[in-house]
Parts: sequence; structure tokens; C-alpha cells
Amino acid sequence: MDSLRRANASTSVAAPSGNALRLRPLPDRAGWRAVGEITSATRPAWEQTLERLTLRMTLGEEIVCHLEMSAVTFVDVAGASALAVAAQDLPAERRIVIERPPVTLPRLLEMFWPDLSVIEVVAR
Amino acid sequence: MTATKTAGPTEGSTDEPFVHPALFYRGEEEYLDGTVPFIREGLKVGHPVAVAVPGPNLTLLRDSLGGDAASVHFLDMTDAGRNPGRIIPRVLRAFADAHTQTHVRIIGEPIWAGRSSVEYPACVQHEALINPAFEGRDLTILCPYDAERLDEDVLTDAYATHPVTISGGSRSTSPSFAPGQIVDRYNRPLPEAPATAEPQHFGVDELPVVRRFAVARGAELGLSGVRLDDLALAVAELTTNSVVHGGGFGSLRIWAGDSQVVCEVRDRGQLNDPLAGRRPAARDQRGGRGLLLVHTVADLVRIHTGAEGTAIRFYLGGC
Repeated sequence: MDSLRRANASTSVAAPSGNALRLRPLPDRAGWRAVGEITSATRPAWEQTLERLTLRMTLGEEIVCHLEMSAVTFVDVAGASALAVAAQDLPAERRIVIERPPVTLPRLLEMFWPDLSVIEVVAR
Repeated sequence: MTATKTAGPTEGSTDEPFVHPALFYRGEEEYLDGTVPFIREGLKVGHPVAVAVPGPNLTLLRDSLGGDAASVHFLDMTDAGRNPGRIIPRVLRAFADAHTQTHVRIIGEPIWAGRSSVEYPACVQHEALINPAFEGRDLTILCPYDAERLDEDVLTDAYATHPVTISGGSRSTSPSFAPGQIVDRYNRPLPEAPATAEPQHFGVDELPVVRRFAVARGAELGLSGVRLDDLALAVAELTTNSVVHGGGFGSLRIWAGDSQVVCEVRDRGQLNDPLAGRRPAARDQRGGRGLLLVHTVADLVRIHTGAEGTAIRFYLGGC
């Protein structure tokens, strides 16, 4: 059973000046679609989603989860840190696939976690 | 001052395992005499050895070491250490932290003839900060200084940033070692920004607006691709720091320098930790990478901080 796919609770944080982040479960595979920016204003929602995602993987309900980020326009270093730290805590064989993130995200991952194989990036 | 003819660069005068000598050299022969034995002795006893020096000296050392060069980790300091602020975390700590079970030897030459007057304060502060950054660590960082081509003031400062010096084969205890004073002395107000670079004031609500403004202006000034992304990342970190740690508000200016885009963020906070942004972050550490990121991506970072506030200016060239 794909708990992530079934989840109907989306997370949305609207911050001032168009700095918003919307997170919704993917309809066709385990994971979430993110839209907006991942910054200090929206990080709580991002971290909450990562916690939910990694909990499912830790419990063994999912082996591979996806984060579809084609509509994310910016990720700051703390947002990348949240992702990398969450991924490091996963049990063996688990994998997070980051789909089409903004180029800053793989650049930050390479800069600070160059050997983090649990995260797979599918470039834009 | 005490002078010893025979002591080598790795020999300290106290129980402190960290040794940080300045090597004053005049010409290629003295350069090689002061560095090659240091490298070869290290390799002989199994010490990991790294050499981070400007390109021409890198070539000189490679050629002189012959087959031994294969056992040495080489970095061109004009690239890896172009911004002096990233040398401690990204060059020195990166190598030292990978070899914690034995004494480590590094040759680091961050100051060369041709460093500009804009770069120099950051260079000499870096040299001073090496001392607290590596206190208690089991390694030697040997810093060559071109005594023929560098200004006398630079050589005088090297006595203040290195507890021991080596010149003409003689090793001496520095009579003027005072790295903290160097950090303070070069914590100077930054030159005025051009009047045309109008300040963009921001608080928490304007963080995305000011970042987008900087990116748009950076593009107009000629940045593109990765460098434009670097600008966005650095601006996001500095402006967020202003909001979180610098009194809640700040101002940003951006303008064209001689061959780089210059961006400055000011706020009312004071930076009390001179090593901020110069410590590598642990892999599982969530925060604390903001200023480290700025040092990593920028070609130069200049900081002036005091009770009246902090100005952080970073320089980005195209690549």
C-alpha cells in the first residue's frame, strides 16, 4: 500500500512577497510534488514533508520515494541541508529520487555532501 | 628572538602539536631548499603531505620532486584559495580532517606577489586565523613568503601571524607573534560603494524580493549560469542572517567592480566569532553553512564588523 500516494493532506505555506511553497502527494508514485521556493520562510513545511517521507521509508512502507521539484524556483542551503540530513538517517537500500530540481540543489549537495549516494538527482 | 640553524619546519618550541612557520624565500633555490626536504621527510615517515601554492611554484615543486610528486596532494592556490576565506575549511581542514591518525604536513602559500590591496586584508586575516583554527591539531602548515617580491609590510605581518619563521635556513621564534591583533587591525571599514549602487532595504518580508533584485542586477552586470546561481545563494544566506541575527533588517548594494560583480549586505549585528564561516560543517549538521557557503562560492569576501554593525562584501567573477 502506498501511504504517501494515498495521503490527502497537502502542506502549503504562503509567505509574504510571493515566497510560498506548496507540497502535495504525487498521484502516481510515492512521494511529493513541491511548488515554490524553499527558504527560511517555507522551511518548516519542507522539513515536515521530509519527516513524513523518511518515516514511511524507515518503517519499510517505501523503498524509493520521489520529490518532484520542476516547479521549485529556489532552494537555499538550509533547505538542502534538511534534505541531506534526512537522507543520511535512512536505512540501507532506501533511495530518494529528486526529479528536476533547480540547479542550486545538486550544486549544494555536491558542495557539502559529495558522496551522498542515497539521493539520486534527475536533472532538469 | 632565538635562532637555530638546524631545526626543521615541523619542530615547535612548545608542547603545542600544531606548527605554523613562515618560510621567507629569495629565489627558486631557497624555495626548494625550504620545501622539498619538508615534503620528502614527511613522505619518508608516512605523513600525508599536501601542497597548495600558486601555479608556477606548483610546477617547480612537481618537477623537483620527480617520482615523489605522485604521493603528494597538489592544489593550485590561485584557484582553490582564490578567496582566502575558504582556505581553512575547503583546503586545509579538508586535507587535515581526512588524515587524523598521524601528523599531517601542508605547504600553504596564500599570499603571493600580485594579490591586490583589496584582497590583502582577507589574506592576512586568514593567516592569523589559521592559529586558533588548528590549535591542538597534530599538523604542520608551512607558509612560503616571496621575500624578494612581497612588500616589506607583508613580511612584517607574517611575523605577527606565524609563531616561528625560517629565513636563509635559520629558524627563529617570531618576536612579534600576535595573530589576534592582526585580525583586529585588518577589520577595517570597507571602501565606499559607488553612489550609483543604491541600497535596497529589507526585512523578513522582503527577503525574496531583495534576492530577486540582486539576481536581476547581477544578470545585467554580466553574470550568468552557475555564477548567477551562486549570487542568489550567497544573497539568500547573508540577507537571512541579517534578519535572524543582525537586528531584523539590512540593506543590500550590488555593483560592477573592475572585473567582478560586487555585492554587499549591511546590518546592525556584530560578528563576534572571527572563525564564523571557516569551519567545515559536520555532515549531519542542519544549520551553520550560510557564511561557509558564501566563502565557498565567492572569489573574495571582505568583512567589517563592530558595535555599529556588520558589512559583508563578496566578489563574483564570471567563469
